[in-house]
Amino acid sequence: MRSYWFGDVDEQGCTRAGGEVATLVHRLRSLTAPDGKIIPPDWKLAMECGAVTDRPDYLGKLRTISLLLAREKVAATLGGKEAELIQMVILLDGMDQAANQLGERLADWYRVLHPLEGWKYRPRDSRKVLGRIREDSEGPMRETLEGILGLRETRTRLAREIGDCAAGILPNSSALIGGLVAARLMTLAGGLSPLARLPASSIQVLGARGALFSHLTRGTPPPKHGIIYQHMRVHNAPGHARGRVARVLAGRLAIAARIDFYRGMLDAEFIAQADGMIESVGRRG
Amino acid sequence: MIWIGDTLLSPGEAGVYGERVMAGHRVWDPYRSKLAALYHLGKGIELSASMRVLYLGAAHGTTVSHVSDYVEVVYAVEVAPRPVQDLLEVAERRRNVIPILADAGHPEEYAPLVEEVDLIFQDVASPAQADIAIRNRDFLSPGGHLLLVVKTRAIDTAADPTEVEERVREELGARYTILDSTWLLPYHRDHVAFTCKR
Repeated sequence: MRSYWFGDVDEQGCTRAGGEVATLVHRLRSLTAPDGKIIPPDWKLAMECGAVTDRPDYLGKLRTISLLLAREKVAATLGGKEAELIQMVILLDGMDQAANQLGERLADWYRVLHPLEGWKYRPRDSRKVLGRIREDSEGPMRETLEGILGLRETRTRLAREIGDCAAGILPNSSALIGGLVAARLMTLAGGLSPLARLPASSIQVLGARGALFSHLTRGTPPPKHGIIYQHMRVHNAPGHARGRVARVLAGRLAIAARIDFYRGMLDAEFIAQADGMIESVGRRG
Repeated sequence: MIWIGDTLLSPGEAGVYGERVMAGHRVWDPYRSKLAALYHLGKGIELSASMRVLYLGAAHGTTVSHVSDYVEVVYAVEVAPRPVQDLLEVAERRRNVIPILADAGHPEEYAPLVEEVDLIFQDVASPAQADIAIRNRDFLSPGGHLLLVVKTRAIDTAADPTEVEERVREELGARYTILDSTWLLPYHRDHVAFTCKR
């Protein structure tokens, strides 16, 4: 038997797929060609089984169904909480970059006004320079500074919201590594479903692409960690234990991501057990 | 097909993507569309009113809209959801465009939707472009044609494009009769179009 959008076809003839448009679309979602063999339907079959009345009707109905099916698929990938979280993370990174870059530019401008002061031996990185600008500037310079500071405040609020949002979508991963880093991992993987399919070793080095490929092509030392370094569990661990903590954490994260995707609920028992495991591995000398 | 002097046109309601209009028809720009480039070079398969077309790599649907001006129906397959948003807008305004969000490398996914066609036009960025053309061969009617635009850089960025063309020709020749191959210069760089028959 072969299934087409209008019905099922076998030796006896064609059986019409019944129901409203929504039912037909639903049926199509799981329909594929069995054994991968492609036998295109003759549209007259659809007329025989009473699904359509003539050629324009065939194309009209097919078009309606295809439009609905495509719309549904677009909405599923480009809409929803998960896609929103990804965009929020990308925006956050953009804000960081913009604030830092503008800060540097502004500090450069300020330094030009004080050409006789050296900066290298004074504790005056651009952040401190910004403090001085605040005290003795006006006009556009001052306004730019206010803009940067405002952007930073927004950034902090956005980061908090990302954390809240991540706790809903990635409850277990967030519990292990914090909402922000969990959201970053998901963004790098391209979504929750791809993240849940990654092996632990990939999760461990997500975000360390450069280091990983220079290891593979030029034989430099392999990266111990990627984005998970941002969590204090990893970067607070003593140097000699860092790789070990990162590896064990990534292993637990791989499981956590799967629970997040397939179950979608916090598993307190798993978290407690995983926490204990990561702690003990960090303490071991 | 409709030409005024050196300009290729297509009949239809104007204003799909800001294309120019000439004598009430839509100008089909060879620098934007690889299919139009092929026609400007005097090659390809003429479109006609009774034709059914399977279009692989529909993207935003600009070329699709021109093809749909000429033929009976276009089955437009595109894998990326972002451009499909635009493709859907084109499809909503045209009665003969069937939009399909699917991977052209997995034709079994859309096999329940697509009937036998007279022409397959393929313009996808994939290292497996020849393989995709072969996998979709069963949609072609006997004697139907394939127009395959090969982005040689998508197959191998470093290799010499003519060498990539040779590789594709060999792979394609096993399942299709190759009638012609044409580089799309000066309109598109490193693109070669194969005209084949099932």
